[in-house]
Amino acid sequence: MMLTLARRESLWGLAFISPWILGALVFTLLPMGASFVISLTNFDPRYPDAVQSVGLANYQRLLTDPLVLQSLGVTVKFAALMLPLTLGVSLGLAMLVNNRRLLGRNVFRTLFYMPTQIPLVATTLIWQGVLNLHTGWLNSVLGLFGVGGPDWLNSTVWVYPGLSLISLWGTGTMMLIALAGLQSVPTELYEAARIDGAGKWAQFRNVTLPMVSPVLFYNLIIALIGTFQYFTQAYVLTNGRGDPDNATLFFNLNLYREGWRYYDMGYAATLAWLLFVIVLALTVVLFRTRSRWVYEGAAR
Amino acid sequence: MKRSDWPTRIALGIAALLVAGACTQQAAAPSPSGSTPRPTGALVTAQPSSAGGLTSDGKILVRWFVGLGTGGNPEQLGAESAAVAKCNAADGPCTKANIKLALEVYQNDVAYDTLATQIATRNAPDIIGPIGVRALNGFGDQLLDLSKYVQAKTLDTAGIEKNLVDTYIVNGKQIGIPYAVYPSYMYYNKALFKEAGLKEPPHKVGDKYTMPNGSQVDWNWDTVAQVAKILTVDSKGNDATKAGFDAKNITQFGFDFQWTDPRGWATVIGGSGSAVAADGKTAQWPDNWKKAMQWYYDRLWKDHTAPTQDYITALAGGNTFQSGKVAMDFVHTWYTCCVYPGDNTSPVKDWDIAVAPISLDGKITAKLHADTMGILSSTLHADAAVLAMNFVMTQPEIVVTYGAMPAKAADRKAFFSALDKKFEKLNPTKIDWQVASSMLSYTESVNHEANLPNFLKSDAAIKQLQSDMLTNATLNIDTRVGDLVKSLQGTFGGN
Repeated sequence: MMLTLARRESLWGLAFISPWILGALVFTLLPMGASFVISLTNFDPRYPDAVQSVGLANYQRLLTDPLVLQSLGVTVKFAALMLPLTLGVSLGLAMLVNNRRLLGRNVFRTLFYMPTQIPLVATTLIWQGVLNLHTGWLNSVLGLFGVGGPDWLNSTVWVYPGLSLISLWGTGTMMLIALAGLQSVPTELYEAARIDGAGKWAQFRNVTLPMVSPVLFYNLIIALIGTFQYFTQAYVLTNGRGDPDNATLFFNLNLYREGWRYYDMGYAATLAWLLFVIVLALTVVLFRTRSRWVYEGAAR
Repeated sequence: MKRSDWPTRIALGIAALLVAGACTQQAAAPSPSGSTPRPTGALVTAQPSSAGGLTSDGKILVRWFVGLGTGGNPEQLGAESAAVAKCNAADGPCTKANIKLALEVYQNDVAYDTLATQIATRNAPDIIGPIGVRALNGFGDQLLDLSKYVQAKTLDTAGIEKNLVDTYIVNGKQIGIPYAVYPSYMYYNKALFKEAGLKEPPHKVGDKYTMPNGSQVDWNWDTVAQVAKILTVDSKGNDATKAGFDAKNITQFGFDFQWTDPRGWATVIGGSGSAVAADGKTAQWPDNWKKAMQWYYDRLWKDHTAPTQDYITALAGGNTFQSGKVAMDFVHTWYTCCVYPGDNTSPVKDWDIAVAPISLDGKITAKLHADTMGILSSTLHADAAVLAMNFVMTQPEIVVTYGAMPAKAADRKAFFSALDKKFEKLNPTKIDWQVASSMLSYTESVNHEANLPNFLKSDAAIKQLQSDMLTNATLNIDTRVGDLVKSLQGTFGGN
């Protein structure tokens, strides 16, 4: 039997993406299934023979564990600060390195992107030095202006701006994506806006922002997921303790502690599923509201 | 630049910030022993074996897992590899017994997870160790009963005090034999004492300390507090006894408790105690420990003679004594691993050790660390593992690199001679090692790392107190300790 062209193309397409499908099955779906099964047990890796089913006990525990609420609160607080900040800064940097009057644009693009190439642990250790209350250069600079710098990493208030600074250092990837978005905005739109008398702000608000909104949307989704998975910096800075006073006990750090400090893998798997559901729900909400604030072309 | 060059100016400003950030010096985390945070990673990973724990050429594969106590430092790897090579040499005991000994070394902060994962995947090693008291609390019930090997003298316990041997009888099983003991005492920087015009602390129990005014006083923690004030100096050269002393710009500290936790502080300053009552289920924090917490907190935030967390991070990444900016530091024998890691690397040129000060309860208490090696009960080749373990435990180069004061008193002289050799080119002083031996007579009645119900969570709760004390200047210690006891009671109950 002769296959139709469309069918042949479909089969070829499936054949070409089969490595990915296989990978997703083996390395994503299978572990997810295993994680769900583990969440119904009391699995402790030190005692593999003592594993028992506990039904939904781990899920019931979520409702009474104060650290779940605490860690969610920390994560949401940080997200509220970080998401607008990273989106704004990455777009601002992209606009800067897209500016025709900038000398050595490629040099600056490379320079601003470079920090993302430094391993996160190294970056965090560097910033631990930068933000040190007594010896950090940030407070030294503030001191030159007579301002006593805060205890960036050991104050329950200032630790969030401190962590934000660390994260901002690595916005290079988002900057590049935003830059690609900016470069795809047709110049005729700006010319038309100028003819209509639009100033810089009006051009930004009425041309640039709508045209790059799909890119901003993508960056938002990535940043949102990244914020809910926030772990490395908090772990490195506090050796996994969530200092000061649990102010950096992010959801993922709490999950790690349960699983790898206390070896309560069953409960850790349950926390992982809660995280999955929360991020999925937020992503769905963002996609559902996308049409209200993301410009997706006249064809829509 | 012209006015229209503002984008370039802004970009240059941001670039300058990036470069300045990247140029900030951050000392690498040091590599001490025990429960100390260290760089992450595996130094030597597991070797594959065929079914039945055999190598491809039919030898019995015995895997030795290092990292749960001392032994996971990069500078110790050479001696460990040499010992393994010696056992596997053509005329070595391993080869003669058809054994291949394989080394796995993990740094301390990943070793626990790695071992748990290996056990879970039924890929566990045979020998684990050295393991300290803390690690025993996590994995002790996985260890093989070595009684029959001790009785058959395959494992030699001659010359080790019986009480030390019995320490490792857990639930009726001899899960290890004493390998090394690490008494604690005061390391002090002689140069800083000399610079301050102070007499050095006593080397013999019962000796008095001579204060700058010539008075002879007991060597207790109040004396330490007074001396530490003189040794704590700000950036303008004022010491902590001066009115103009600037606590926000301290360049040198009087003393520190490096790499221990509140139970360690409490035991040394306040005297022996326990966080669990004799019934084994009631949380407590004895009065002498409460006083000790207050004493230390006052030194951190009132006198500013001990470094708080921000300063600790800035002082050689936490290896504070090695920074050369801490005059006294109360640590164990294993710290000889890290006080002077190599030529031209440390500002500490001239140091010695002094006896522990008298605790607040009127007795001297020098907390003790002890290491053993054990064999996991899942091993397929227990006899071979015992043979290999016995070989490793008796290698002198291993003992020295671990700073492991031998549990057998007869072996200690050689150990101290080897340490002298290690330090002879680096330190003009011959270290007074009798201090270390003498402190063995003043160890705590309940080990400061002893097991607690629901140990991992209970230990984390205690570590949280440590963190709070080092970072929060406004704690009420009584209230905070009360909260800890409540929290411990919760974790003891399984929450």
